[in-house]
Amino acid sequence: MTLDLSLSTKQSLDLSPTRTRTLEVVDKSNRLKSTSLGGKMVAEYWDNIFTAKERGKHVVWYNGTALNPIFQAAGLEWCHGEAFSARLAAMHLEGPAQQAGEEYGYIAELCSYARTHLGCAVMTQKGITEKQSGIVGMVDQEELASKLPSPDFFVNAYAGCSTGQQWDAMTYRVFGKDFPIFNVSLPMIWGNKKDSGYLRGTEWEKTPLYVEEQLKKLIEFIEYQTKKPFDWDALSENMSYIKRASELRLEAMALCAAAPTPATYWDWVASIAPINFLPANQLLVDYFQAVKDEIQQRIIDNISAVQNERYRVYFDGIMNWNKLGFLTRKFAEFDVAVVAGRYTHDSFWQEPQLIDLDRPLLGMAQHYLICPINHGLKIMEELLLKRCDEYAIDGIAFHSTRTCRAMTNPQHILARTAERDRGIKSFSFEGDVADAAFYKDESLESGLVAMLESIDQQRAKV
Amino acid sequence: MHELESVAFSVLETVAADPIGYAVEWKRRTGRPVVGSFPMNFPSEIVHATGALPVIVQESRTPITEGRSLLPEFYCSYTRSVADQAAVGELDVFDAFVLADHCVQLLGAADVIRWAKPETPMHFAQFISSMDDPWSGAQVRDKVASLRVEVEEIVGVTVTPEALRVSIRAFNANRHLLRRFYDLRKTGRLRVSARQLQVLVKSSMVMEITEHTQLLESILSGLELPSEPPDSLVRLHLSGHFCAPPRPELLDLIEECGVLVVNDDLYHGTRYISTDVPEDGDPFDALATWYLDRNVSAPCGTRVQRNVDWDSYLVDSLDDSGADGVITLMAKFCEPLMLYYPELRKVLDARDIPVLLIETEHEGLAAESIRTRVETFVERIRRQKLKVPTLA
Repeated sequence: MTLDLSLSTKQSLDLSPTRTRTLEVVDKSNRLKSTSLGGKMVAEYWDNIFTAKERGKHVVWYNGTALNPIFQAAGLEWCHGEAFSARLAAMHLEGPAQQAGEEYGYIAELCSYARTHLGCAVMTQKGITEKQSGIVGMVDQEELASKLPSPDFFVNAYAGCSTGQQWDAMTYRVFGKDFPIFNVSLPMIWGNKKDSGYLRGTEWEKTPLYVEEQLKKLIEFIEYQTKKPFDWDALSENMSYIKRASELRLEAMALCAAAPTPATYWDWVASIAPINFLPANQLLVDYFQAVKDEIQQRIIDNISAVQNERYRVYFDGIMNWNKLGFLTRKFAEFDVAVVAGRYTHDSFWQEPQLIDLDRPLLGMAQHYLICPINHGLKIMEELLLKRCDEYAIDGIAFHSTRTCRAMTNPQHILARTAERDRGIKSFSFEGDVADAAFYKDESLESGLVAMLESIDQQRAKV
Repeated sequence: MHELESVAFSVLETVAADPIGYAVEWKRRTGRPVVGSFPMNFPSEIVHATGALPVIVQESRTPITEGRSLLPEFYCSYTRSVADQAAVGELDVFDAFVLADHCVQLLGAADVIRWAKPETPMHFAQFISSMDDPWSGAQVRDKVASLRVEVEEIVGVTVTPEALRVSIRAFNANRHLLRRFYDLRKTGRLRVSARQLQVLVKSSMVMEITEHTQLLESILSGLELPSEPPDSLVRLHLSGHFCAPPRPELLDLIEECGVLVVNDDLYHGTRYISTDVPEDGDPFDALATWYLDRNVSAPCGTRVQRNVDWDSYLVDSLDDSGADGVITLMAKFCEPLMLYYPELRKVLDARDIPVLLIETEHEGLAAESIRTRVETFVERIRRQKLKVPTLA
């Protein structure tokens, strides 16, 4: 028998790369309009930071948990390292900072948040050295990465990731140990005892008290640095705004249990900066009220966040900031609504009932400890399954984040748990938090398609 | 090169090559529990005081198979190996695990063990890593107290202060002997290979400590001193490599390139044996003091402390040993070392001290590529030493 190949050889082959094909596809995502206000608020916040020195303000550089209500009450200007790295990556302006870090000696496998921010520190330090002005950005105003004002002191309070504390220790050294540093040590909620669980058990009851005491010491440190008494009333007021904003955010998130969902994970990613580090005030509350209102209106008007939603997916992993818009369109292209995620839904003042305005530091300490990378496996499994149930999840996308070992840590086991306990399919794709070089589009697309086919087969059996 | 040829050394060599085999045999022989701990700051004395065998879990030479589907590829070789050992059952000899170090990759591996061996206790007594805060000492003392409760429960034996003092003395004596080997190497009175010294330290992390001490004493008593090295060798300091030992064949390769390793700050080296536990006062408090003291006597990139620096410690070590340069051995994906390396390089560059960075992985050793780099590095140092001052 011979094979007749004539037919197949006459067919024209489409050899165009996937990327080209993807870009030609109609955008089926429908992002919230209200989040654009958040973008403006964030831009104004950073513009304000860049002029802090000219306004004679004390500047604190910090990493990790949201200490900003304390800084705000103390009249400081605060620069969150990860936030600035994320902003540079989202604006595709991370290159100069990462290059400066590389020239200083940081290897590309190092946490790209840290690498980018340390690159900024190198550039800022260079600005100080060259100009002796205390105001950076004079060297090259065109480079956003070089515009951070030099710090008056550092505060580190990093949960979960051991690199977080070491990162600020290195920033402190990049600046020649010229500025004081204060460390708040946040223990893991590891689950040593059988009674351990999310917000329960002896480990949970004891650990926040230890952190609360450190926060009191932090405030003494700030008083010493600023030579001003701390305004405790202002802290309570700040936390009242945070608490209300958080309640609205959670109420709005809960509305997304509706199918089709009126908003997606990507809208919540766009709302991270406001809840994580913007000033606590009425504007913040108004922002989340507007987000909630728009979602409610979408439900009334039957408007979905993804055209033709057929799959509801949970996103596990930290955000790939270089690819925010791209991933929004990419998942929507396959009729996938990414409804919730660990980074958005289990972070950022996510338990507002813990905030007691008469004792704000305890609620803050508790929130710092429930950072989603600060738990042992048992709690992570508990939270994952809870979210999958709440949002009727069909599948999970695991963002295997190359330089974020903390967020990637338990993903292989979480995938097995979701399959074992709920029959939920998943896939893993490679990328990174702030280094676009690690993203592999083919890995995402092939994994996503395979997972969706598995879901289709599951449904067919039912 | 002096060969530590003796029956005693061959015993240690066997244990270093097969730590699990030793633990299995010890358990069979004594009928007592084996407790696994993890680098780099766990006080083994507290486990020893219960009569159990404390073993620091080592990286296995076995290729990683099952572990690949439990931890990402971009974790360090040690943690991926530990996860793999847990998955394939190599850690079944352990009756419990304890750890004190907060390293995100290590905790990932520990979670894999908890997942693979859910019935085996795993206690994390997280020692604070910010060493010079006003509350650091109290925090570590609190964690030592929790460790005491935990190991007592695991082994079913009360840790008395007297028993702990005995264990502290035993470990101090062992460290003292190990430091003698290092001092003899540094002063040039003993030519011993880096591979052999690694055997001495690695086996001490695994063996019953008094048994190990007896073997060390036997080796020391049989040494023939002095054995001066030829002047043609370039004196180098090996730096870095936390948690797991560099491959012995890498150490051999470095020394084959005309190098005399005179000192190190490796975990399977000087770092591990740098500090004794105080023998006076409350023995439980002494373990906390030991932890805090260690970062002063051998500063580490995994701790943060304002008043000590690994870089200046390194420079002082070089002055002390007369090393001409530094080879930094970095386990790929080791974040603390990736973060600290530029600070080390900056200080060494400022003093015109040559430094070479070599990344290591669990599997594979690009021997000829590394050989070329080391040979070039050695040649550069030789030329630097011959440099004639110019008239300015």
